Amino acid sequence: MSVVAECIVAFIFGSVVGLLVQRSRFCNTAALRDAILFNSFRNTKALLVAMMILTIGFTLFISLGAGNPMRFDVGLNQVIGLFMFGIGMVLAGACTVSTWVKSGEGNVGAMWALLFTFVGMFLFSLVWSANFWPPAAASMTGELNLEALQLGFANAQTLQEKFGIPAVFFGIIQAAVLYAIFRAIRRKEQAQEAAQQENAATGATGATGVAAEPAQVAAQ
Amino acid sequence: MDFFKKTLDPVIALSAIAVLDIFLFLLVGAWTVGGGETMMTGLAAQFFMGDAVERIPFWRFVFVPDAGYWKIYISLGMLFGAIVGAVASKEFYWRVPRRLSEWVMITIGGLLMGVGIRLAFVCNVSTFFGLTPEMNLGGYLAISGIIAGAWVGSMIYKKILEG
Repeated sequence: MSVVAECIVAFIFGSVVGLLVQRSRFCNTAALRDAILFNSFRNTKALLVAMMILTIGFTLFISLGAGNPMRFDVGLNQVIGLFMFGIGMVLAGACTVSTWVKSGEGNVGAMWALLFTFVGMFLFSLVWSANFWPPAAASMTGELNLEALQLGFANAQTLQEKFGIPAVFFGIIQAAVLYAIFRAIRRKEQAQEAAQQENAATGATGATGVAAEPAQVAAQ
Repeated sequence: MDFFKKTLDPVIALSAIAVLDIFLFLLVGAWTVGGGETMMTGLAAQFFMGDAVERIPFWRFVFVPDAGYWKIYISLGMLFGAIVGAVASKEFYWRVPRRLSEWVMITIGGLLMGVGIRLAFVCNVSTFFGLTPEMNLGGYLAISGIIAGAWVGSMIYKKILEG
């Protein structure tokens, strides 16, 4: 595929994503933050469903030798980097997707977060240029490299090669685990709904103070 | 049109995005945002610094500024799609953070996101919508990090909320 065609495909994909995320108010930050702080799982469930579909889809095509999986060595830098990212996204109130989408809605705070994401990337480029860690693609080996705190490379394709079992088999197992988490969340929500109904019924008979609590959580 | 009047169920929205992401994976690669943002940073640095940017090894060895990098256009597309959605549903209006504390939190948050993405080579999108569904070991490492980070961030956020 030509470079121009790749860019057009990416732009069309991005446009549809931007539209759907804007209309659904999906936010990756909320998917984690709201589950941790408010026991609210609206975005978490959507994230899990998408991951189930993607796991089956990606591993199915990897089994058939198709697709373009990401290929680079991984290690401690993924844990530390995303740990910093996780704190940052909650403080900024937006992730990489919602900074773009909220900017498109006229949110100046999201534009500011985006600007400082770029500043952070530039600052990191200076730090990397001083210590050359984590290793650049050219010096990746795909193998364990403890000196550079790298574990190497492994994905559904390498599992398929190692065990001689189609990648989609492992994908189905992962999707089942994601579904189990989804089910656990649904059960928790059902318990919350039952408690709310009970509170509402109690409130109707006179104990109004108890019924006010879920409303406060929803308002947050 | 109802689509622009009611809020769409995020499960439906994300299911549609997931199906499209599978096609993107087949054509060029899975959905990602951090790579495109890094390239935009490089292009901005090149714009302001000129040839001096080549003296920074990162922009010579890891991300050589290139406007033809497809990942840039995912982000620009998301901005475009969001503007269309917001304008069509009459939800576009300027929102400006009012308190100084909000500006400070957003600034620190943005910086942490930028540094974190580059340190990890991945963003939250490639973690949840690329690496982990590809069953890449990096996806599991990144998910552990982002959940721990979101928990710490949430505790800080809670402290601030409680004043």
